[in-house]
Amino acid sequence: MANRTAQRPNGQTQGKICQFKLVLLGESAVGKSSLVLRFVKGQFHEYQESTIGAAFLTQTICLDDTTVKFEIWDTAGQERYHSLAPMYYRGAQAAIVVYDITNQDTFGRAKTWVKELQRQASPNIVIALAGNKQDLANKRVVEYEEAQSYADENGLLFMETSAKTAMNVNDIFLAIAKKLPKNEQNTGQAGNAQGRRLTEGDTGPKATGNCCK
Amino acid sequence: MADSIYSKVDEYGFQRGEDFDYRVYGIFMSEYIRTLTRRAQRWNVVFKDNKFKRSGILKRFIRKGIPADLRTICWMTVSGAERLKNESQLNYQLLKLKYSHQVIEVIQIDLPRTFPDNIYFANNEGYSDMLYNILSVFAHQNSEVGYCQGLNYIAGLLLLATKHEMVTFWLLKTLVEEILPKYYIRTMTGLLTDFDVLNEIVQKYEPQIHRHIQNIGMPWAMGTTKWFICIYADVLPTETVLRVWDCLFYEGSKILLRVALALIRIHKEAILQTSDLSELMSVFKNMKNHPRVIDCHGFIRDIFNLSSKLSSNRIEKLRLKHQK
Repeated sequence: MANRTAQRPNGQTQGKICQFKLVLLGESAVGKSSLVLRFVKGQFHEYQESTIGAAFLTQTICLDDTTVKFEIWDTAGQERYHSLAPMYYRGAQAAIVVYDITNQDTFGRAKTWVKELQRQASPNIVIALAGNKQDLANKRVVEYEEAQSYADENGLLFMETSAKTAMNVNDIFLAIAKKLPKNEQNTGQAGNAQGRRLTEGDTGPKATGNCCK
Repeated sequence: MADSIYSKVDEYGFQRGEDFDYRVYGIFMSEYIRTLTRRAQRWNVVFKDNKFKRSGILKRFIRKGIPADLRTICWMTVSGAERLKNESQLNYQLLKLKYSHQVIEVIQIDLPRTFPDNIYFANNEGYSDMLYNILSVFAHQNSEVGYCQGLNYIAGLLLLATKHEMVTFWLLKTLVEEILPKYYIRTMTGLLTDFDVLNEIVQKYEPQIHRHIQNIGMPWAMGTTKWFICIYADVLPTETVLRVWDCLFYEGSKILLRVALALIRIHKEAILQTSDLSELMSVFKNMKNHPRVIDCHGFIRDIFNLSSKLSSNRIEKLRLKHQK
């Protein structure tokens, strides 16, 4: 079994532990919950229950000598739940704004979320744009280049992903982890309860793939 | 331990989760099965004409659980849905014909995402079709609400309990338009109000829990949005939800706050032991697995014993105070 924490064979914990709050935003049914399920549990359900309110999950990955624990808020997509969203992105260090590459409206909605985050969220928030359902590329309506140039203009990380095939799912979280500042403030927070915290939520076989390599 | 005698699918077609505790459930059911038989006999004696006029005895009987085979007729009567149907100009069958071509995309997207693990919804297109009709007709005839995610779970469970499309429509309409606060309108003001009402109730009756949750910094919306929006469907075990709905249809929406307070109280120790938001959220997420919550009979007793001062009158005053 892969060693999922920052523990080394001699039992000593090496490196630092950072904890980050990450929020997923985007139109209904673009695949927010599916991306999280793939990342946290390595699973995919063709029909994922619609999320009411928000779901909370955690996942830990290793990056060089740093253990990064994501506290993930997976929010409801329907427009009328919008007013509840600020409590989830407030104080978040990272956000993944998701759209469906087969649905133009969801790309428009993603841009609206990006604008709102740039205006209302923490100024240093790391935003990633995920064009999900890449496995349905034959039905694509949002061009890769269009999304890439939008992301470049706005300083966003960008990847096309597929929760179904797992394409780029771990990668987008990893790219976010790399971009996040790992300073004292974030390490201190997780420091006192690391032993127990780090054993929960990190059960996904997929996610361990990029852990402690 | 020998294999459980209980199936992996419950009587409403829901797959029991991996974390389902067959031992706890077995202990509860061995007793509850006797209760169900006894209650069914009592209902047959006292309400042999199936006329459910409001009375102290009916209220008491409903709190002890409506027998499954009487739920449809009893819910229709005590909720006022039957009266609404008879007095209304609306004809469900006509509306269905009228609206069947005006497709509502968001409802269609949510159909396969409503109880995907339930054998009735997964293996029988009839259920999805009925659910589509109900939600679509509802959305068209109530433009203030339209379709709000969450209604799919309520209508879905109503359908599984009643097995009847038109009855489900009328019960849904009665719930949303007569019984529940304005949870589902575009601004969701009724929901925001009930978060504040819950906050005040917990502060008054469980100040220690209130302080702890405040210190950790969890807004009530984080832990309880789904409680209110889905009126506990897909939140508590199915049988417990139906017992809550028995009382909800007769006594009104104060029941939702009583259930909320009871759930929080049952988990007092677990909540107080948490030290951060992540731990606190996991307590809220796993509430359906608590033995006292699985024991729907005991749980319903709790919601009335614990909070005898939470009358409809009191709740309405609090809602007025926190109105958005």
